[in-house]
Amino acid sequence: MIRPLLVALKEVRIYLQDKGDLGFSLLLPIVTFALMYGAFGGQDMFHGTAHVVNEDKGGTYSALLLEQLDELDILDVEVLSRSEADRKLERSDLLMVLYIPEGFSSKLSSGEPAQLTFKQRGNGGQEGQIVASIIRGVAEEMSRDFQVRSQVSQAVAGKDIPQDSIEITVQKFLEREGEHPLVAVGEETVGGKPDPVSQFLPGIVTMYVLFAITLTARAIVEERRKGTLERLLTTRLSVGQLFVGKYLASISRGFVQTLVLLVLSYIVFQLFTPLSFIECLVIAIVFAAAASALGMIIASVARSEDAAVWIAVFFTMAMVMVSGTFFPIGEGSVLETISRISINTYANTAFKTIITEGGSLADLGLELGVLAGVAVVALGVSRILFRVMPGGK
Amino acid sequence: MAEEFLIAQDLHKSFNEHKAVNGVSFTIHKGEIFGLLGPNGAGKTTTIRMLSTVLEPDSGDVTIGGYSIRHDSGEIRNLIGVCPQELALYEDLSALDNLVFFGRMSGLSSQEARAQAMSNLELMGLVERARGRVEKFSGGMKRRINLAIALMGHPALLFLDEPTVGIDPQSRNNIYETIEGLRDKGMTVLYTTHYMEEADRLCDRVAIMDGGQIITMDTPYELRSQIGPPEQVTLEDVFLKLTGRSLRD
Repeated sequence: MIRPLLVALKEVRIYLQDKGDLGFSLLLPIVTFALMYGAFGGQDMFHGTAHVVNEDKGGTYSALLLEQLDELDILDVEVLSRSEADRKLERSDLLMVLYIPEGFSSKLSSGEPAQLTFKQRGNGGQEGQIVASIIRGVAEEMSRDFQVRSQVSQAVAGKDIPQDSIEITVQKFLEREGEHPLVAVGEETVGGKPDPVSQFLPGIVTMYVLFAITLTARAIVEERRKGTLERLLTTRLSVGQLFVGKYLASISRGFVQTLVLLVLSYIVFQLFTPLSFIECLVIAIVFAAAASALGMIIASVARSEDAAVWIAVFFTMAMVMVSGTFFPIGEGSVLETISRISINTYANTAFKTIITEGGSLADLGLELGVLAGVAVVALGVSRILFRVMPGGK
Repeated sequence: MAEEFLIAQDLHKSFNEHKAVNGVSFTIHKGEIFGLLGPNGAGKTTTIRMLSTVLEPDSGDVTIGGYSIRHDSGEIRNLIGVCPQELALYEDLSALDNLVFFGRMSGLSSQEARAQAMSNLELMGLVERARGRVEKFSGGMKRRINLAIALMGHPALLFLDEPTVGIDPQSRNNIYETIEGLRDKGMTVLYTTHYMEEADRLCDRVAIMDGGQIITMDTPYELRSQIGPPEQVTLEDVFLKLTGRSLRD
């Protein structure tokens, strides 16, 4: 019993000595996490840019519109010339541009309706649609403001009321309307905010554990290359014990990588409760056990390090691609059926159930059962393959 | 006559169509240094791999200390130590860690492994480098570590497969003295080498292999006597006369 542990311990010591392996398995998750933090850290609301062509030169109302847009925290305003905007739209550098036509302000001043135009490629993109919606809201508010002002002006026309008093009356009316609108729209928050980190974290975690397959796949080949495999097989160490030792070392590495990511996520993004954190660690161990067992199959059949790495990389990429790790898979689709062959699918579901849905291990019987089953079966298969392959034992 | 510790009987081993070992039989007595000589591809390493339980013979059997490699490989592994032709150690670990690890794999307790490791390192003149990483060692030092690992667990039978390849005279001499010291303490050694003067100096008896078969087997003195006055001919003369001068791959 002690020999597999000694083999695992030796592997871990070598792993800690090998700067390449260590960097690959520990620093890359940290770098990935830093990128994730840079991309999502502190971002909890929309922020976009309104690209505007203003041909209403010197116009009061176009200037007012731009001023009001610029005052919004969620929006930056970039004014472009028509030629520049057209060129960028043509090249898809921009997907949506607001055009303020010439005479926009003069038309409004004379009481004529004026029109703003959005030019867009396709549907204008997600950001473009949101920006357009915000601009429409501001324009409608301006329009309402303008209508109230003109109606009040018409109502008091011919009476001896100073312009200042008219302006104060209009302002009070608008303020009251703002505070007590005819149709009020309320907001009610349900559950936590939809954090992009919690959406992507399960995929990143499972991907890194799968990378551990590459290291596991080299386990036996490396011993073969060093000549130590044959030497070990002349000691009291049995092949079974060697396998268990390599397997335990592989699980440790996969788990350590996951631990780095989860701990950083816990500290920086505060995604977990203490219980959900522990539940995620349990999932990580079971997933690392399944992934490592698959790595041991590759290790049993590969006869060179290159072969081991290439098989592992292909296998890892295939697992990630078919599991829908980074893109959604439609329910009931053929891809969803195919995704069930990937252990990533079960691990992703398990992590998402805990992290984003607030579930518990009790909800994960199928997922944990499949991963544990894969671990047991794959380990058995790898041992058989090692025996039957040329030069096996 | 010392007891027969290793008895190899009609060993055969083929890889695909190639007969690597073809009917090899010999015995090694307890406390003897037995040399297995031969040109490249003669079948020496395949023979050692079968004797050390790594390869299973197609036919024939070997008993070591009364145990058969076919039925009692576990017991045989308790009796043997193997120093392979290629360096077989973990270069990322220290010399001490290498020895302790293989000692533990040979069934020693942690304390025993550590004590034996230090003792073996002292024997090899490497005690001051015990905690140095092996990758920083010279070729000669690595060879000595390779031998020191084989000695972990105090094996009764030591297989040394060309242990002095590519090292300086000082390291080679250290290895010679170590092997002679082990023989004096009663250890049995099977030794393969391409250096004939080495076999002449160390081996009590030698077998010369070629084409997977043993073509002659005797003491170095008797082998030299077969082709001339033993004081005037060398074992290399005997070797070349028996195996020819054509180049081998």
